[in-house]
Amino acid sequence: MRKLALTILAALLMTALAQVKVVPDYSALGIVPGTPGGTLRLVLGDTPPRFFIYGEISALIQTLTHQMFDPLVTFNLATYEIIPALAASWEVSEDGLVYTFHLRQGVTWHDGVPFSADDVVFTFEQIVTNPEARAGDAAQFTFNVDGVERKVTFAALDEHTVRMTLPVPSPVFILQIRSFPIMPKHKLLHLSVEGGAQPADINNAWPTDGPLTDIVGTGPFMMAEYVPGQLVRLVRNPNYWMVDAAGTPLPYLDMLEYLIVRGTEAQAAQFLAGNVDQLNIGGAQFPDFKSRELAGEPFRVIASVALFGATPHLAFNFNAADPELAQLFANVEFRRAMEHAVDRLRIIEDVYNGLATLPGMGTAPADVTFHEDVTGLMRMFDLEAAGAGLEALGLVDTNNDGVRNISPTRELEFSLTYGSDSRVWTDLATIIQSDFAQAGVRVHLRGVPVAQLLATGLAGDFEAIMIGFGDQPDPELRKPIWQPGGALYYWHRATQPAEPGGQPNFDAMADWERRIWEIFDQGSRMVDHEARVELYREWQRLGAEFLPVIVIAKPNSIGAVHDRVANYIFSLGVIPGYNPVPLFFISE
Amino acid sequence: MLSFTIRRIMIVFPTLVLVSIVSFGVIQLQPGRFTDRYLEDPRFSPETVARLEAQLGLDRPVWEQYWRWVTGIITRGDFGFSFFANRPVTSIIGELLGWTVLIAGLTMLFSWLVAIPLGIYVATRRNGFSDAVASFFGYIGLATPDFLVALLLVALVLNLGGTNVGGLNSPQFIGAPWSWARLIDLLNHLWIPILAVGTSTIAVLMRQMRANLLDVLNADFVRTARAKGLRERTVTYRHAVRNAINPLVSLAGLSLPELINGTIIVSIVLNLPTIGPLLFQSLMAQDQFVAMTMLLFSSLFLMLGNLLADLALAWVDPRIRYD
Repeated sequence: MRKLALTILAALLMTALAQVKVVPDYSALGIVPGTPGGTLRLVLGDTPPRFFIYGEISALIQTLTHQMFDPLVTFNLATYEIIPALAASWEVSEDGLVYTFHLRQGVTWHDGVPFSADDVVFTFEQIVTNPEARAGDAAQFTFNVDGVERKVTFAALDEHTVRMTLPVPSPVFILQIRSFPIMPKHKLLHLSVEGGAQPADINNAWPTDGPLTDIVGTGPFMMAEYVPGQLVRLVRNPNYWMVDAAGTPLPYLDMLEYLIVRGTEAQAAQFLAGNVDQLNIGGAQFPDFKSRELAGEPFRVIASVALFGATPHLAFNFNAADPELAQLFANVEFRRAMEHAVDRLRIIEDVYNGLATLPGMGTAPADVTFHEDVTGLMRMFDLEAAGAGLEALGLVDTNNDGVRNISPTRELEFSLTYGSDSRVWTDLATIIQSDFAQAGVRVHLRGVPVAQLLATGLAGDFEAIMIGFGDQPDPELRKPIWQPGGALYYWHRATQPAEPGGQPNFDAMADWERRIWEIFDQGSRMVDHEARVELYREWQRLGAEFLPVIVIAKPNSIGAVHDRVANYIFSLGVIPGYNPVPLFFISE
Repeated sequence: MLSFTIRRIMIVFPTLVLVSIVSFGVIQLQPGRFTDRYLEDPRFSPETVARLEAQLGLDRPVWEQYWRWVTGIITRGDFGFSFFANRPVTSIIGELLGWTVLIAGLTMLFSWLVAIPLGIYVATRRNGFSDAVASFFGYIGLATPDFLVALLLVALVLNLGGTNVGGLNSPQFIGAPWSWARLIDLLNHLWIPILAVGTSTIAVLMRQMRANLLDVLNADFVRTARAKGLRERTVTYRHAVRNAINPLVSLAGLSLPELINGTIIVSIVLNLPTIGPLLFQSLMAQDQFVAMTMLLFSSLFLMLGNLLADLALAWVDPRIRYD
């Protein structure tokens, strides 16, 4: 009897222990067991508009959210494989249609309420797939099957089991799930359709002047304090479910402080003054930082080829308000001519100090699986070729003022929108303006704050614009950007659905756009890996050929970190499911 | 004097009404509306946009929007809604107003405390070496843009190994309860913006003071005072300065809104949570109620500043009395 009791006790104990997540072995990355305690200071580039990640597309909210919330699965930081997070394990049915997630037990929200399958279902049903959630992603969970829109369905089988049923198999589904932090049903129900509100009401969740106690997650850090315009303070979650190899509960840090500092120069000054412990910098700042490091200052600068980092591109508005410009911009020959006027090599040298490479067309060169080298198809800097291309379109300088004419009374001039509070964007814009001028095209610079750049693009409030989108290890994860009609296919808004969640407007698509649409549609469900890779390679070649946008350069990832911070891995901040901060500790 | 003051205070209200009508009209002249960006965005259904417009009152005729805004201010102290931040205007401006007034006030105080004695000093030693030096630095301070001075000071601090390179407080004091240590830390951070903005003000005031004092020192009554046998010190301070300072007092009244709006770039560069950057941002984002409220406050400060200047003038100069 006693033996049975002991056995049962042992079994229960093992089950409980099995639920505690031990960090994978990252010793190859230089990770060592750390000591608890200490404060880490980072920067936030501006005041966050709110604290709810699905209410607005904002890198600021994403940065904070990834410390306070967890997704179901996450990245192994060394191999980029998918490993358990809030989902302790999962199975996929034979036909690839049914995903059953077994949730981690004993996890609680920051306010002590137990985490359960209801929270997961609520997050996906009411928020992520809500077409009116401004930063939701309903399109990822909708599949076009023989002309019919079919959606993924979610169900809570019991307190710790969630089933997701797909209409067709999707090889990247697990990778996609990583992007969605799980939200607390008990705090957000009243803003959801299930709770009786309108679909768009969810966007009003967690304003910056609301009670901070509403913001509860399951993540390593909890919201502690917000000083408007100055600081966001997060404190350690004492009940976090992750431990290190020695059994020490993570995170090591007691406190995480985000200083709100606008502008790259101001952020660099704060780092050099020691007020900020880690900062991601650009090639332009690298020489100054590196020379200080070599002169003995107590920090180190680490540069590496990047997979995720944002690749700036130049986009022309196919649906510009001005019909003559719109017609011109939608003409591929015009875009090809203008590509000849973009001096990528000079930009890499002057703007990034050589710490950048020629870009891929929607993938990073470091992505060995999917990257197709299209540098042979790219049109290199050649002002004569640019001039010839423009002349072939009938754009000649008829009144001899140095600027080509669209018509005898109208010059070829348009505005270029760029991020004005960033050194990199300003330099890029200036170089492009001067090179375009040499090709006889007059460009007016129009600056908007970087925080508003994407919103400006999405609203179509531009003629030409420069924006940067990050890359992902699988192009499927960037489908909203590169698939015509996608929510972020902002340069050709006519292809976007008339109603949110509806079909894209195929009539507005050019032939090559139609083909790219098919590629992404087939790629999202193709199980044969080789064939799938080949499809995406075709997409990249089409992109280089027909130029939806003109990609400029792929910057290296450069991080500066003070010596007191140990276990540092380059911190990508906004990349979902990529949070090395719980591993950092302070060693002075 | 009292009736004068009361009359001046009462004039403030109709003036503000006029200012609000003009600024509302000008902002409406801007092409497009705030909700245009949402109409184009596929994540917003037309129903949601319509509801948003009804909520914000943008579907009403222009005069009705204005009327709703004004009555909101008078009856509820509600200055409208910020479309961009999705919050009432008062909550945004309220966060920043205190710091703005503090920094502007300290800058004015500092400029005056330095400029007036300096102006007096160089006027009494006219064309001497100190006069040339002070004028030289004055012109440099005037010629250099404020934000450049701010950046140069930050670079200087950094090179000397300091840590107060922007913001109001060091990180450990942000949000902390007030103490002497925090106050000293605050002053340690504020000296850069005060100096940056103050240098040009000092230059102007100093030159003005010098010129006025020189005029007065050549006047008959000063000669009489000296002839009476008064000490030079008494002549200068009791008689000459009090007369020379009149025009500067009027200048002071005009400088209050200047300090608030004129520090926009410095605030952006030094990351100060003031309302200057907010005005800039709201105009760019067509956030009409924020912009109008800011303009209203700007006018209010101007009028209050002028009133205070006139009262101060009456206090300084007994010849001036209002009825």
